[in-house]
Amino acid sequence: MDIGWFLAISALIFSIGAFGVLTRRSPLVILLCLELMLNAANLALIAFARMHGNMEGQIFALIVMVVAACEVTIGLGLIVAMRRRKLPIDVDEMQELRG
Amino acid sequence: MIATAETIEAPHVDWAGLSPLIAVFLGAIVVLLLGLSRSRSARETAVPLLSIATLAIAIGLSVGRWGERTDLIAGALRLDELTLILTILFCVAGIATVLLSWRHVAPRELAHGEYYALLLSSIAGMIVLVAAQNLVAVFVGLELLSIPLYVLCAAEMRRASSLESGLKYLVIGSVGSATVLYGLAFIYGATGSTDFGRIAEVLAGGDVASDVLLLTGVALTIAGMAFKASVAPFHQWTPDVYEGAPTPITAFMAVATKAAAFGVVLRLFDVALIDAALDWGPALAVLAAITIVVGNVGALGQSSLKRLLAYSSVAQAGYMLAGVVVATRLGLQATIFYIAVYLVMNLAAFAVIVARERETPLGDDISSLNGIGATRPALAWSMTISMLALAGFPATAGFIGKFYLIEAAVAGAYTWLAVFIVVGSMISLAYYLKVIAAIWMQPAEDDGTVVATEPVPLADGGETPLLAGGAEEATSARGQGELVGVAVVFAALTVILGIVPSPLLDVVRDAGAALGLL
Repeated sequence: MDIGWFLAISALIFSIGAFGVLTRRSPLVILLCLELMLNAANLALIAFARMHGNMEGQIFALIVMVVAACEVTIGLGLIVAMRRRKLPIDVDEMQELRG
Repeated sequence: MIATAETIEAPHVDWAGLSPLIAVFLGAIVVLLLGLSRSRSARETAVPLLSIATLAIAIGLSVGRWGERTDLIAGALRLDELTLILTILFCVAGIATVLLSWRHVAPRELAHGEYYALLLSSIAGMIVLVAAQNLVAVFVGLELLSIPLYVLCAAEMRRASSLESGLKYLVIGSVGSATVLYGLAFIYGATGSTDFGRIAEVLAGGDVASDVLLLTGVALTIAGMAFKASVAPFHQWTPDVYEGAPTPITAFMAVATKAAAFGVVLRLFDVALIDAALDWGPALAVLAAITIVVGNVGALGQSSLKRLLAYSSVAQAGYMLAGVVVATRLGLQATIFYIAVYLVMNLAAFAVIVARERETPLGDDISSLNGIGATRPALAWSMTISMLALAGFPATAGFIGKFYLIEAAVAGAYTWLAVFIVVGSMISLAYYLKVIAAIWMQPAEDDGTVVATEPVPLADGGETPLLAGGAEEATSARGQGELVGVAVVFAALTVILGIVPSPLLDVVRDAGAALGLL
């Protein structure tokens, strides 16, 4: 199968993720969209690994999964911390810092 | 089973070469465990002292390895003078950050141990990042640097703006990481290898250099790294995050994160992608010019010192990028030299800001410096020297750094970029001199809050938001010897390096030779 299809899907997922990060207002959905972006990269890595016939891309993808999990954990922790302080969980209302 | 295990040879690990990294990691674990201790003095004194000791040991180990050039861990990391000098710089920034955090509210909120352990793991990530010569190691280092910083930004969990800055940094930082990752995936796809040496070989072999996969990959990597190094137009997060984060962490981000981002950019572009220099050089040059303009113009209207320094750091990133653009040994040396002096100048300024945040209820507003020329001469002189150096005044390290960068840009046939650096420095005088004017020409606030030998009551700050280490942190002027010490030491270094730059220049020359550029 042509590598182009895998790359097209991966680019589509990456764009959906980037679009979501830019337009969504809830930090939770933004975190989900970030996952989409990282997983689009994983798909590309695995497709390339298959294309080149070496394992480096697959190893890279495994490591990315671990790192993505860490990132989401921190993100959820921050959202919980904001929730406990009864701060608005909406990125449009976070206007403490501006100027 | 046992028989086969005996025949398998353990992979060779160069423990001596890895020793600075291992020291920082071990220090992080020990600090984290010590932070669980029940004794208050262990938590509040032993933990920071141990962090400083760890970083000092890492500096010592790095100095001991000077001159070595080897591959570590099957070629994933590279030990050379570039790695070592940046490691030393990160550790110096780390020690200064520990001193600035000593009596700050942020470590208390994160139970001391966790705060310093996160700081040390972030430094370990920086060391991995600048040593990386494999795309996987680049990504791991980048995330190991960033993830602890997201938490540290949100360390003052009772202050809304700190949490907000943490979340903003997390979202923007992760977008940057994902973009870098996508770019690295394409570079791997175009070249078939994650190893910098192999990538360079494939590119030198011909036709791949203008391959669309490679160009996409390089473009995405530049965009992602620009997020991390706060290069315009990817800099919008910088002022918000710098303002909201606890001030010692802001100082750390401003100097160390930027140094790490430029460290990896230098190695990635000047080693792996050097044969595609004609593709990425002009793109980076345009980014550098935009960054210089945006940073300097953005800083003009700021009244918060942290925001002002945030925009100033954007502009400085533009200057440093000029040294990367030219892809010559001279450019490499100029960039490393500027990273070092930028660290020295900025730490002096941030130490003064932390000190004034504690002495006055004004937080990091520029008016908190009013009249300190008369009342706090040590702080006033440190801030003045630091501002003049950032603007590039002669007889300070900033002047030598800029001079070197301009020389590199002109020699590398980017004269127009050198013009941008000069014009940018001229604009920057407007806001740096504003700070100096506040120090020496504004009258001190009359009701004695400026001297603040007694804690300022929290009640009168009714409408003052709880700024980083604001009113409740106000301590006596005598109780912050470490802040004055940091400010004076780094201000003195700024002047000394401005007058006698040759020791640093020699070190930088070694580091510049490490990458094999012409």
